[in-house]
Amino acid sequence: MTAKIQTFSSHGDMTLLEYDPATADMDEVNRVLAEYEAKTGAQPFDMATGERIEKVTRDQNEVLMVHPIAGG
Amino acid sequence: MAPAILSAIALLALIVWRFALTGHQRELMAREIGALRRQDNSFLEQGRHILERAAEVMVGSDRFEHASDGVDSAGWKDDPKTCLLRIVAITGATKMGSGYALDVGVTRFQVCGSYVRRVQDVNNPKCAYEETCFYTADKSMPKAEQIATALLQLKSNPALFDSWAAQSGAFKADGQSFSPGE
Repeated sequence: MTAKIQTFSSHGDMTLLEYDPATADMDEVNRVLAEYEAKTGAQPFDMATGERIEKVTRDQNEVLMVHPIAGG
Repeated sequence: MAPAILSAIALLALIVWRFALTGHQRELMAREIGALRRQDNSFLEQGRHILERAAEVMVGSDRFEHASDGVDSAGWKDDPKTCLLRIVAITGATKMGSGYALDVGVTRFQVCGSYVRRVQDVNNPKCAYEETCFYTADKSMPKAEQIATALLQLKSNPALFDSWAAQSGAFKADGQSFSPGE
């Protein structure tokens, strides 16, 4: 079983991380996502439910990092 | 009589030699083909081994690789339209005209290419709609993915519409303002 962290890009969805949720260090996964959020403003959504999540757990196999939106 | 017998023996020997030579040539050819096939199989084995190694690098058993800084072409997956259709299904949105309708409680959003309409009470026929434009920080992102992004965020946090309408910068999905340099 492989879990994926993806994001949208100019060419479709792009995989940022792939890991085995059974053995991966989830603190490390969340640390990397926190860095990515600090850099881009993107926040994680569970692709199974469409809900925003605070932290990625071993239960989530597919997470989408959703970028900020501005009004105009 | 003797010359005739000798000639016959010589002819027979020649025929036997000819068959023996042909058989030997066939054997040599078969050996060469076999060697070439083994070489081909060896190349295929090497290619398969390389692909397996690449997969092992991408999916470590007890670690992970991240490609947020360098874009890895192996990471590209679905096209934008496929992404949008998936998000539409997840959020329960429906196709409406040139956009997608998303109901959150009694509020209906209609997300189109670059703008969103909101009807605060879809059950009230007198309720007028409001409208605001929106865009993602990454303007190279295809429209389909921008729509998908808006659908996910509005489903999770309908109040974002007011933030976008205020035109006061970019906002994260949780409603916090965001500046790229922060």
